[in-house]
Amino acid sequence: MFAVFKRDLRAFYTTPIGYAFSGVVILVMNLCFYYMNVETGSSDVKGIFYWLLLGLAFLAPILTMRLMSEEKKLKTDQLLYTVPLRIVDIVLGKYFAALAVFLISMIGTFLIPVILSVCSVAEYWAIIGNYVAIIFAASSFIAIGLFVSSTTENQLVSALISWAILIGLWLVDTLVAEVEVKAVSIVVNWVSIFARYESFTYGLFDLSDILYYFSIAAVFLFLTVRMLDKRRYA
Amino acid sequence: MIEVTNLVKHYGNKKAVNDISFTINDGELVGFLGPNGAGKSTTMNVVTGYLSATAGSAKINGIDILEDPMEAKKHIGYLPEQPPLYMDMSVNEYLDFICDLKGVDKNRKSHVADICEQAGITGVYKRMIKNLSKGYKQRVGLAQALIGDPEVLILDEPTVGLDPIQIVEIRNVIKVLGRQRTVILSSHILPEVQAICQRVLVINNGQIIADDTPQSLSRYVERNQRMQLRIAAPRDKAEALLRAIPEMNEVVFEGVMEEETSDFIIGSKNNTDVRRLLFNSCAKAGYPVLMLNPLSASLEDIFIKLTEDKSKEA
Repeated sequence: MFAVFKRDLRAFYTTPIGYAFSGVVILVMNLCFYYMNVETGSSDVKGIFYWLLLGLAFLAPILTMRLMSEEKKLKTDQLLYTVPLRIVDIVLGKYFAALAVFLISMIGTFLIPVILSVCSVAEYWAIIGNYVAIIFAASSFIAIGLFVSSTTENQLVSALISWAILIGLWLVDTLVAEVEVKAVSIVVNWVSIFARYESFTYGLFDLSDILYYFSIAAVFLFLTVRMLDKRRYA
Repeated sequence: MIEVTNLVKHYGNKKAVNDISFTINDGELVGFLGPNGAGKSTTMNVVTGYLSATAGSAKINGIDILEDPMEAKKHIGYLPEQPPLYMDMSVNEYLDFICDLKGVDKNRKSHVADICEQAGITGVYKRMIKNLSKGYKQRVGLAQALIGDPEVLILDEPTVGLDPIQIVEIRNVIKVLGRQRTVILSSHILPEVQAICQRVLVINNGQIIADDTPQSLSRYVERNQRMQLRIAAPRDKAEALLRAIPEMNEVVFEGVMEEETSDFIIGSKNNTDVRRLLFNSCAKAGYPVLMLNPLSASLEDIFIKLTEDKSKEA
């Protein structure tokens, strides 16, 4: 697993993808921080993390689009499947490589909590909660993107489908907010990736929310493994 | 040692490999010969664990690739038809990655250096793979297969797309490698297999139609040997002379390539060697033989022969 992780992480930064992703994340975060906190004198970070979450729905597919598709297209998958390596190791190596790029990008936002704690009465739990929430959200987005990438050998198709899924999920949420029927909104809130996110942003760590994000990631990683294994029987 | 038993592989309705069985002993260098689409790559992909089989089994050193792939794959080095190279890496980064994948830890540096020497890529060690020529890319692919010192090497069309000098070089590398290892190599070029291998498996339509040494395989076809002939004589005289030889059963005029000569394609009955007869009668008539050239059997000829014989048996 570590070999694949190392190679893919390096590949992110030998191609422009890793830099572009990190650059945009850091830019969005710090710009939002300036306009929403510095200018208004607010110490509430919820807003900037909400924008980052939306941004991630667009950015995560760029991170994941080539992970499996490119291997298939360049036939380098023939190498991975014929060395003594389990498919689950390949999938996890790639998953953690993409997640690592996200975490590296988060390091670029360290000034936000530093400034907040120096200049204002920072709500530490809320800040930590927001970081945890965005990391959980990113880990489920990346798992979804990785799965989509394993279904096609075309990077563009992979990115488009992932966008459709992530933005579609977000749209469903916003639309349901308008629906008056209570049962519908309860169900949607329960399954929604975005609704679960909110409680973290208040600094509330609910075990069911944590398990929920873990399950989303686990389910899609499992599906990716199955998808790749199925290929052998084509 | 490779043991393949009753291997079947379907792609949907298409039977790519149809009940193939063979055994390759330790230290043998065996050629897989067959036209494109015969099932060579599919067989190799099943043996290396890239694809599963519809039925049958493949064992590497006694370990079933479908039942215990992790163990079996440790014994195989595989060079697919298209070398699995990452263009964004340099050669040394790539080989380092392969060492990581195959779990080579001990003496990694000297192991990689040895392999680079064998594959002839020491000079390009630091270069980016995407900037290498096709021949060097092939060598890097070969080096990849050699990492971890596998006992079994499986090479899928290792010389395709290379220029004639590179082909000779890669063949020599493979011949040297075959001294200590079990090697299967696939090709659709008969002389290539003849030049390298000790044994040939001929595959057509997903079935093995011959398993023999390259020498007897070509002898098999030479029984019906045909020759190209140029005689310094006018067409009608030369033709009459050739037809007068009783063993000759085929005389086809090919044209005049040189002034005052005639070219023919000739064939003899039942494998008889007509060269002496031909020489004597030409000498008696005073027509010098300017050229006598055996037409080498092409792969197509062999296939036609082998498939004909198969259908006769059946």
